[in-house]
Amino acid sequence: MHEDKFPGHKFLPYLLIAPSIAVIFIFLIGPFGKSIYESFFVSTPFGTRTIYVGLRNYIRLFSSPDYLNSAVVTFKFAAFVIIIGLSVSLAIAQLLNQKIRGVGFYQVALIWTYAISPTVAGVIWASMFAPATGLIPYIVSMLSGGYKMNWMTNGQLALFIVSAAATWKMLGYNIIFFLAGLQNVPGEFLEAAQIDGASPWKAFWRITFPMLSPTTSFLLFVNMLYAFFQVFGLIDIMTHGGPGNATELLVYKLYRDGFIHLNTGFASAQSFVIFFVISTVAIIQLRIVTRKAIYFR
Amino acid sequence: MKLRKNFLIILILTLCLLLSAGTALAQPVTVTFWHAMSGSRLGIVESIIESFNATHPEFEVKPLFTGTYAETLTKYVAAYPSKTGPNIVQVYEVGTQTMIDSEAIIPVYQIPGMLGETWDWAQYVIPITNYYSVDGNLWSMPFNSSTAMLYYNKDLFEAAGLDPNKPPTTWKEMEEYGEILMASGLVDHAYSTGWPDWIFEQALAIHDHLYADNDNGRSGLATKVVFNDDFGRMIFETWTRLHDKGIYIFGGAEYSANSAFNAGQIAMFIQSTSSLAGIIKAAQFKVGTSFYPRFDGYPVGNSIIGGGSLWVTKGQNKEELRGVWEFFKYIGQTDIAIEWHKGTGYFPASGAALKDLLDEGWFSADQAYLTAFLQILSGRRDTAASTGVRLGPFVAMREVFVSSLEKSLSGQLSPKDALNEAEQKMNLLLKDYLELYGK
Repeated sequence: MHEDKFPGHKFLPYLLIAPSIAVIFIFLIGPFGKSIYESFFVSTPFGTRTIYVGLRNYIRLFSSPDYLNSAVVTFKFAAFVIIIGLSVSLAIAQLLNQKIRGVGFYQVALIWTYAISPTVAGVIWASMFAPATGLIPYIVSMLSGGYKMNWMTNGQLALFIVSAAATWKMLGYNIIFFLAGLQNVPGEFLEAAQIDGASPWKAFWRITFPMLSPTTSFLLFVNMLYAFFQVFGLIDIMTHGGPGNATELLVYKLYRDGFIHLNTGFASAQSFVIFFVISTVAIIQLRIVTRKAIYFR
Repeated sequence: MKLRKNFLIILILTLCLLLSAGTALAQPVTVTFWHAMSGSRLGIVESIIESFNATHPEFEVKPLFTGTYAETLTKYVAAYPSKTGPNIVQVYEVGTQTMIDSEAIIPVYQIPGMLGETWDWAQYVIPITNYYSVDGNLWSMPFNSSTAMLYYNKDLFEAAGLDPNKPPTTWKEMEEYGEILMASGLVDHAYSTGWPDWIFEQALAIHDHLYADNDNGRSGLATKVVFNDDFGRMIFETWTRLHDKGIYIFGGAEYSANSAFNAGQIAMFIQSTSSLAGIIKAAQFKVGTSFYPRFDGYPVGNSIIGGGSLWVTKGQNKEELRGVWEFFKYIGQTDIAIEWHKGTGYFPASGAALKDLLDEGWFSADQAYLTAFLQILSGRRDTAASTGVRLGPFVAMREVFVSSLEKSLSGQLSPKDALNEAEQKMNLLLKDYLELYGK
């Protein structure tokens, strides 16, 4: 077919896509291959000595209670960010979609969390909850008659706060998309339902929610990537993975092992495992989602 | 249009000419310097370098802030193979063994000889140079050295009925004072610390107790940690007990607890001496400083050095190396060392600077600045345990320590189990390092 488009220039199309292919190879496939290769070695930070260790990095990984802990923490974190985050944003988007006074102000006010950099968000949340100087522990202590809330020694609390911060940070993004999705739901359907005597609750679940499914599935995907990969800054600012590994997400552990402990082999093995898990989940999700979403399009 | 084009060409040509003339005239040798000094320290580093460049027109030191200590080391590691690294890099004390084993650097003690000079290393403060020496030879240039000491809030002490001129000297007193402070209702917690990992190392060193075998990794690569005994457990149990009583509030890593002390929410604080200038500036109360608290009846050691030092990259030409060396001599100069000390609270590296500070009355104006010196110069210096710890995977080991301490404080593990976990994980890290670097 391409011969028709480029008569007499059989290789021109290949030449034209060569730059993008080159970029993909140089920046994605090359480093990826290198990291798989390196996952079979241990080496000194400066690369002066390298020892082939076979699958030892992987065996260590899966027999390490810290790594399993990190995986559990990541799934808890992701579940919170995705489920709570999407539900709350959908609820807020639904409220923002009403005809109320000053809706423009609320829309902007609720969306701008997305414009805040992870660093700033992390600093805000960390200082809000700072054990000795923060506002929230102070209020909690006032209300409860002296309970001292210290997330720096309470792992569960730390994970909760970090998850809440990450959810809050993503709220703006989710709301924008839900709002756009809601505005695309044709009013006639809802009117018809109303005339037929459906309650707003029922109308929402039977009409709005199914019609939102392309948006929801897109956000599901984006939020999953966010929860797995993009919360590094927040964790680094807020907890450094502590207390006692309680908020050490997989990506954060990888960063620490690779870039702070300078253990590239071990970190490479981790990156391959994360890649494998995420791509599996992504493929499954895309399969289900495309099947369902197309149905409503 | 054409006129404008011609004009532009002429302009560019003139510029080129001017630039090439400029380089032909001066051509100072460039010395690049990667450092991790942020905040108020950044300004002081830059002003010292500016004055060096002004007084040494044949050299130009180009500083580059490369992030935290850890990030700076990572960047250095990444840049080294491609020969894009700096001439000088600042590395924190925990990275010392990594640098010694890197095969990427020139030990500082060899530089004067390479340039046909001799140099008397004894002019620097001995406990500091000891830390960065291998077999008595200095490997990196001490730059920002600090140690840990006790800070306390004299106003809170007074208000709680304690003598503001009698800070606690032992951990037993820390506990007693803590209880009094808590009972007074002035504070919710009495005590906190920065750098919990380093504070633990200090607790061992101050009682002349080793952290790891092979003389703390100083006479050979360490094979195991040796702090998991009655003494180490006592430290852990004391800290956990103080935490359970609410006296000790865990303040997180590095400098995050400073704000609580500055705000008067705790009365006693163990932190790096390099925080002194910042604390005095921020505090609205009288700041007292004293020696790191002891456990009664245990041997005397010394507090150990922390902070960073400067390492010199291998493979530079002689002119660059001369620039590096001139810069090192410059920062050791009395006036510069004094400027550095006053601006930051870090030790001035040379004995002469110390004398000048004394002569001008710096220490009598604010005695708080004297504590660090008296502490480090009054302890012993003849044992490995009091000199400091040097371990290959030290960064990772410190993290293991902090997470074990956190588990013990939160009650997730008993102090004993937490210490056992730390020992086991650290020994594995040491074993891996030996596998790579052992003969």
